[in-house]
Parts: sequence; C-alpha cells; structure tokens
Amino acid sequence: MTTQLAPPATNPLTTPKAGYTAAAGRWAGALAGALAIFSVLLIAKGANPVSVFGQMMASTFTGASVEQIVIKAAPLILAAMAVVLPARAGLANVGGEGQVIIGAVAGAGVGLVVQGPAALPLMLVAGALGGAVWAGLAVALRVTVGVNEAVTTLLLNYVALDVMLYLIYEPWKDAHGSGQPATPPLSVEQRLPLLSGTAVHAGIILALLAAVAVWLTLRHTAFGFRLAVTGGNPEAARRAGLPVARLLMTAMLLGGALAGLAGVIQLAGVEFKLRPGLTTNIGYIAFLAAWLARHNPLPATAAAFLLAAITVGGDSLQLDSGLPAATVNVLMALILLAVLGWTAKRSPS
Amino acid sequence: MSDLVVDVLTGAVRGGTAIMFAALGETVSERAGVVNLGTEGSMLVGALAGYAVAAETGSPWAGVAAGAVAGGLLALVHAVMVVWRRADQFATGLTVMFLGLGLTSLFGAAYVGRAAPGFDPVKLPILGDLPVVGEVLFQHDPVTYVSFAAAPLLWWWLRSTRGGLLLRTAGERADVLHVHGYRPGLIRGAAVVAGGALAGIGGAQLATAYAHAWFEGMTAGRGFIAVALVIFAAWRPLWVMAGSYLFGAALALAPALQARGESLNQFALDALPFLITLAILAILGRRTLRAAPEELRRVFT
Repeated sequence: MTTQLAPPATNPLTTPKAGYTAAAGRWAGALAGALAIFSVLLIAKGANPVSVFGQMMASTFTGASVEQIVIKAAPLILAAMAVVLPARAGLANVGGEGQVIIGAVAGAGVGLVVQGPAALPLMLVAGALGGAVWAGLAVALRVTVGVNEAVTTLLLNYVALDVMLYLIYEPWKDAHGSGQPATPPLSVEQRLPLLSGTAVHAGIILALLAAVAVWLTLRHTAFGFRLAVTGGNPEAARRAGLPVARLLMTAMLLGGALAGLAGVIQLAGVEFKLRPGLTTNIGYIAFLAAWLARHNPLPATAAAFLLAAITVGGDSLQLDSGLPAATVNVLMALILLAVLGWTAKRSPS
Repeated sequence: MSDLVVDVLTGAVRGGTAIMFAALGETVSERAGVVNLGTEGSMLVGALAGYAVAAETGSPWAGVAAGAVAGGLLALVHAVMVVWRRADQFATGLTVMFLGLGLTSLFGAAYVGRAAPGFDPVKLPILGDLPVVGEVLFQHDPVTYVSFAAAPLLWWWLRSTRGGLLLRTAGERADVLHVHGYRPGLIRGAAVVAGGALAGIGGAQLATAYAHAWFEGMTAGRGFIAVALVIFAAWRPLWVMAGSYLFGAALALAPALQARGESLNQFALDALPFLITLAILAILGRRTLRAAPEELRRVFT
C-alpha cells in the first residue's frame, strides 16, 4: 500500500520487474565501454590490457583477495548507508568522509582512556555519536538558517581532517612510536574480533546488519514512508502535517552515526591507530556507491562490494603489472561515468 | 613583528595563486549554473601536464598552456555528463576527480623526481623596490603577475561584455536564452571547460612555480578548497581573490612563526578558513544562496 503512495519514477521499488533485463543490458554495455577505454589507456602506457585484466581477475578471486574485498567493503557499506538514508529525505550528504574521520577520532579517543572488555562497545558508540554530531552540525544549519547541506558537509570534511591531524601531530601522538604522527596502537581487546578461520573482522557483520536495517526501515516503516514523502515533496509533506525539520534531522543524524561507525570499524578492524591516511577516501567512494545504486540500500551494498573489488584489483595492478596502484581510479571512474551517464533515466540536474 | 607580517603576506600571495586560478575557474562554471567538484582533478592534470611539457620542451610557458588544455579536457568530461547526459553534478564531479587522480598516477610516475625548468621569482623594476609592498607583491614568479590581472579581468568580463551577459543568463534564466535563439547547454558546457582550463593553469603554476616538482596527489585538496571559496566569495571574482589570499595566509602563518621559534599547530590554522566560511554561511543563512545564480540553486536543493 505504501508503494502506491511513494514518489514515482525515481523510486525503483515501484519499477516493474521487466525493467531489470533492459537495465542489466545497459549495465553490461556501460561496463564494456569503460573497460575498452581503460584498455586504450593501458596500451598507450605500453601495457598489454589482456594480460593486465587476466592478472587482475586471477588475483582478485584468490581467497586472500576475497577477504580483502570484504574488509574494504565493510566501511564502504556503512558510509554508503549514510548517503542513502538522508537522500531518501532529499538531503545530499557529501560529508561522509568527515563523518568517517570524526567517528574514528571519537573511537580512538575512547580507546585512549578506556581499557578492558567495555572498551570496544564504548568505542563503537562513541564513533556513532561522533559521526552523528558532525552530520548534525550540517543539518542544524539547514533546518535553522536554511544553509544547503551539500555545501556545509563538504566544508566539514576538511575541518574533520584538520581536527584529526591536529590531534595526532600533538596531543594524542604516540610518545613511544616511531616518530610518525599516529596515536598509540589499540590493545588487543579494543580491536574487533576476526570471523573464525578468516582474516575478516566482525565489522562486516555490523555493516550488513545496518544495510538490512536501513532497507527494512525505508521499505516497511512509517518513518521510512514519511522520509520518502518529505524527499519527494517537502511542501506537500509540510501541509500534510509531517514534522519536516525533525525528519530531516533524524535522517541526517542516523546517516552520520552510520558513517561514524564506518570510521570506528576501520580503526578497530584494520588500522588500529589514527594516522593521516586512515580513511582512504571511504566517504567519497561510498557516496558514489550510493549513487550507482540510485540510493537503494541493498543495491548500494552490492555497489560497495564492486568498488571494493576494483580497489583490491588496484593492488594487483601494482604487484603484477608494475603500474601505480592509484591507476585503478581510472577504471573506477570510467565505470562510474558509464553507469551515471548511460544507464539511467535522465534525472533533472 | 612587521617582518612577520611581510613574510605572511608574501606567503599568502605565493600560496594563494594556484587556489585563486582554480576558484576563478569554478566561479565561471558556477555562474553558468554548473558545480564542478572535478576542479581538484583539473588542477591535478594541469599540474602534471604543465610539469611534463615544461620538462620535455624546456619552456615553462608551454607547460602553463598544456596545463590549461589538460584541465579543460578533463572538465569536458564533466560538461558532457551534466549538460548533455543530465547526470548528477555532485556524483559526476567526484567521479571526474577520481579520473584525474588515476590518470595522473598512470602517466605521472615517470616525472616523479625528474627535474624540469620552472618559473623563478622576478623582481619587478622600481615596484619591486618599494618598501613592504614591493616584497609582498612584486617579487614573484611571472604567472603570479598574470594572476593579479585575472580576477579584475574576469569581474569586468562578467559584468560588462556580451559574453559575460550570456554566461550569467545561462546561470540565471536559461529559458531566456532559448527564447532568443541561443543554446544554453552550449554556453554552459563552454563555461565548464573554460573553468577547468583555469584550474589547469592553477595546477601548472603549483608544479612549475610553487613546488618545482610533480608528485602524486600534489594538489592536496586545493581544488575542493576552491569550490568552498566560491561560496565564501558569493560568486564574485574580486572576493575570490581576497579569499584565496586568506587561505594562502593561513598556509603561510605557521611556518613563518616556526621560523621565529614559536610553535603553532599548522592544522588549527588550516581549519580556520573553512570555519570562517561556515560562520559566514551560518550568519548570512538563506541569503548566501540568494546570491547564488538561479539555476545553481536548483542543484543545491
């Protein structure tokens, strides 16, 4: 019943199943085009695209690489949900990067003072709160004085980065470390446990649970429906008596909390200390994953795995073909451009 | 003390120039109604193209020209996507940024650590000897002197020429252009490409005059700073100029203090321009977007 009332066209929940075959065809075409352009660039660089792709494929589907993909996908999924949830209410959260950083900072801060079995849960809570606060700053400006959230979240990314750098270059710097700017490493009980028999940390469980929870919320709850109405037509929502400002705040705070969690699991599952390159563009890549999936939670999860796989493929580029690892950004960008520009119904820009 | 002021002001001009070119480029693009987060990418390809061409030809001026071409070509991708494919501006801009990051990484490895002829500071006759002002303004590289003229020129061009009027109309009321037989999409696309070319010049200045080197990711967020600056400046070129020097001053203050034995955390200062911008947005509130080009406001809602 809610599906009848949901906003049309842009909400794929209402799209008939028949559309999926055509969409799959467009996706395949877009991917092939992106690979073709990337091949031309590789040839220009004197590399053989067939062997490069072969090696990427071969090394991406070894056991160790699959584990790497899952590890990289976990924070991407959470940070993608941080885009998906506000987007349903019509908010553009470009600040995932900053919220991830502040999440990691808050988690690390708790880690500095709390030891023992309570440390990890407290770190996760602190990270979520940190991310929520950071997103809250932007949405507060939006609902009180009407400043656009895309602008403020983008600006806050840089403030977040400076906050982290400030802390790790001075007050939180590891006095016994190698002189590198970083916090002292987390103790073993502060780290996320590994899934038995693998190198994958438990953060992936958290991420998948969050994705399902976001999907259920948007699909099956009154709150999700109200968000969709607000996103579809804020004026109509206001006239229908919906608390628009509160809905916007809630969506953004929840989104920020999820991005903050992404930061903590990256800290407690992978890095174990705050250091300058901690986030590796998680927030920005997740924003693109959410866009690839047109802001739908479960497809966004799949997109996060896809982008994680491409990133892991970049490491094999470096090892096997001697190309710089960042080269993989070209492949990622080409695939995204193909999908953004040639697979979807044209949305007004 | 006055010594410190001179150092910081000189550093503001030195460090602010690359950001100013990029921010002026973003102004051109946004006045026509298109946000380009890919400015960071245009700066990067401009920096690499500038450095590489300077190394290969021996002429840094050829490098600057190559930087403009490279920055413009990358922006062309953004233009095609948002103007003709109607893709989302934020998502496309970020993607173009990643494209620039990847391309420069793929083709730039050969130039890391390689020497190339660059621009050296030239002290202008008479002007360069003026007390304080001479040192702050007139002992820079030639590209910086060009940049002094860039913002006033853009201000004049936007305000007083037919081209400027067409560009502003594309950003305010594209329908009006339609009625008069113009193609707003074409004007917008040209503005995005021209904006990318300016960002490319900024990148080339960064590589051949500021850093005298190429390394991966060397723009370090300056392109995003440029996007923020344009909002800070409320889409006005002369304010863009002032804002760029404010950023440059924030960059220059910490090293200048450290050279005098004062310790100061660089990052507290780096955050300052962003916090000032946020404060201005908060105070002006809805009015900031009221200053925005009409068509741009649709992107922001």
